[in-house]
Amino acid sequence: MASMVTAKPSTGASYGGAVSKILIHVVVLLLCAVTIFPFFWMLSTAFKQPDEVFTASIRWLPTHPTLANFPDAFRYFPVAHWFWNSFFIAAMTTLGKLVISVPAAFAFARLRFRFDKFLFAVVLATMIVPGVVTIVPNYVLVSRLGWINTPWGVIVPSLPHAAFYIFLLRQYIRTLPQELIDAARVDGASTWTMLWQIILPNIKPGIAVVTILSFLSGWNQYLWPLLVLNDLNAKTLAVGMQFFTSNTESAQLWGPMMATATLATLPPLILYALAQKQIISTFVTSGIKG
Amino acid sequence: MAVSREGRTPTVAAAREVWPRRRLSWYRFWEGATPYFFVAPVIILICVFIYWPLIYSTYLSFFDWNFVSPTKTYVGWENYTRLIDDPRFARALHGTVIYVLALVPIQVLLPLALALLLWPVRHSRAQSAYRVMLFSPTVIAFSVAAFMWLWIFNPLQGLLNKFLLEGGFERVNWLSDRNTAIWCVIVVSAWKTIGFNLLLYLAALEAVPVDYIEAASLDGANSWQLITSIRWPLITPTFFFVLVTTVISVNDEVFGAINVLTDGGPFESSTNVVYYLYQQGFRFFQIGAASAVSILVFIATILLTWLQFRFVERHVHYG
Repeated sequence: MASMVTAKPSTGASYGGAVSKILIHVVVLLLCAVTIFPFFWMLSTAFKQPDEVFTASIRWLPTHPTLANFPDAFRYFPVAHWFWNSFFIAAMTTLGKLVISVPAAFAFARLRFRFDKFLFAVVLATMIVPGVVTIVPNYVLVSRLGWINTPWGVIVPSLPHAAFYIFLLRQYIRTLPQELIDAARVDGASTWTMLWQIILPNIKPGIAVVTILSFLSGWNQYLWPLLVLNDLNAKTLAVGMQFFTSNTESAQLWGPMMATATLATLPPLILYALAQKQIISTFVTSGIKG
Repeated sequence: MAVSREGRTPTVAAAREVWPRRRLSWYRFWEGATPYFFVAPVIILICVFIYWPLIYSTYLSFFDWNFVSPTKTYVGWENYTRLIDDPRFARALHGTVIYVLALVPIQVLLPLALALLLWPVRHSRAQSAYRVMLFSPTVIAFSVAAFMWLWIFNPLQGLLNKFLLEGGFERVNWLSDRNTAIWCVIVVSAWKTIGFNLLLYLAALEAVPVDYIEAASLDGANSWQLITSIRWPLITPTFFFVLVTTVISVNDEVFGAINVLTDGGPFESSTNVVYYLYQQGFRFFQIGAASAVSILVFIATILLTWLQFRFVERHVHYG
C-alpha cells in the first residue's frame, strides 16, 4: 500500500504505479469473489440432485447437473404466477412513476410558477419519511378500496415514492442548454409541446436510468406486498419464496428453492449488467448534492 | 387548439394580432396552468399516500383499535406509556441501536474506501466486470438475498457449518443463537447494500474535474494529498447524501432480512423497531400501538436528520 501512496501518478489524473495497480486488482478480485460467492452457491445448489444437496462434505459443483429443480419448484408452488405478478407490478409501477415524474421534473427544472420552490420541497421532504411510518394508514385505505390481494394495492401506494427520480430527472433537464428552451419559446411552442418535442427526446438516457432503478425497486419490494398480497396466487417472487421454508418437509426443498431464487435474481441482474454504464454516467451528469 | 399557417402555436405576442381577445386569454390561462398540471399528479399522490398517513397515524396512536372493530376507543397517551413498560419494545430499541451503529459506518465508509480503491484501475478492461460483480447484491430483492444466506447459515446442511466441521470445530446454530443471530442479519444487510453507495461514490469521483487534479499534481501533491485535499472535499456532498439517506433507510431495509432469517428472535435478540411495529400491527392487530411506534420512528428520523444537517453539513463543500 505504501507504493500506492508514494508512486508518482503517470497522468496526474490517477494514483498508483504498475505494481500497486496489480495489488489493487488482487484486492478487488478477492472482494468480488466474496461478493458473488452466495450467487455461485445458489446456482450450484439449483442444479444439484437432492442427494448432492445433502452431503456431509462440501460439494462445490454438481457432479451430475440437473434441471429437475426448476419444474419441481413450479410443481410445489405457483412460481409462474409469482413471476408474472413480480413483472406486472414492477412494470406498472415503473410506467406510473415515469408518467408522474417526467412532467414534474420538467416543471421544477425549467418552469416558473407560484409556489414552485415550496412544492419542490414538499416532494423532496418525502425522502425523510421512512416507509414504515405510512404502512398502517395505507393498509386501512387499501383495504377500504378493496385492493387487498390485487396488484393495484401494491402499485398505486408506491407511486409517490418518486422523489429521488424527480430529483435526478430535474438535475438532468437542468444540464440541457437554456437556448434549447428559449428557441422553442421564440418559435411559439407551448409548454406542453416543449415537453414532448424538446425535453423528452433529450433526456432519454436519464429516463432509461429511472426506468431501470424503478423496475428494480418494484421487482424487489418486500414489506408492502407481504401485507397486501395474502392469496398464494397473488404473491410476488420476493414474498412467495417464504413458503419454501414454512413447509414441514422444507428440509427437502433447498434445490427447488434455490432454483426459484435463481429465477428471481436473473431479471434484475441482466437488466443491471446491460445498463450499468448508463446508470453511472447519469449519476455523474446529475450530480447528487443532498 | 388553434394553429397558425406555419403549423406552430403562436406566442402570446404573435397571437394578439391573430386571435380575438377571448381565445388569447384562454391560451394564456392554459399556459399558466400547465406547470400545475405537470406537478399535480405527484403532489396529489404524495398527499394521499405519504402526508395524510402521517396525520392519520398520529390520530390512530391515541386510540385502541384492532382493524376490524367498527369502533375505536380513545385512550389518550396510553399507547405511548405502555411502550415504555413493554420489555419487548426495549429489546427492539436495543436491536435498533446495534443495527444503526453497525450498519451506518459499514454502508457509508466501506463503499467510499472501495470507490477510492477502484479508481486507479477504472480504465482497465476488468473495471466494468468489477462494478457488475460488486453491485450485483444490490439489484436483487432483500428477501431473496436473505434466502440465499439462509441456506448458507442452515445449521445442519449449511455451508458455513460444513466448513466449521471440516476444520474440526463445533457446529454453530447461527440463526437461533442469541449471540449470533443479529450479526447474521447485519452481514446479509451489509453484503446487500454496499453496492448502491459504491456507485454513487464512483459517479462523484468521476465528476471531479481533471484540471484540478492535474494542477495539484504539477504543484507536487502526492496521491494521498490528492485524495484528502482535492477529491474528498469535492465528494463531500455525495458523502453527506449517502449518510443522511442511509440513516433514514437502514431500519426499513433490515426488515426483509429479519423476517426471513430470524423472525426477530431468538428472544427478540435480532428485532428492531420496524419489526416490532410490524408484529404489533399485523400479527397482534394492535393498531394504536403500531401507530404510536410509527410516530416515534418518524420523530426520531426527523431529529437524526436535523442533527446531521446541523453538525455535519457545515463540513460539506458544495462545488
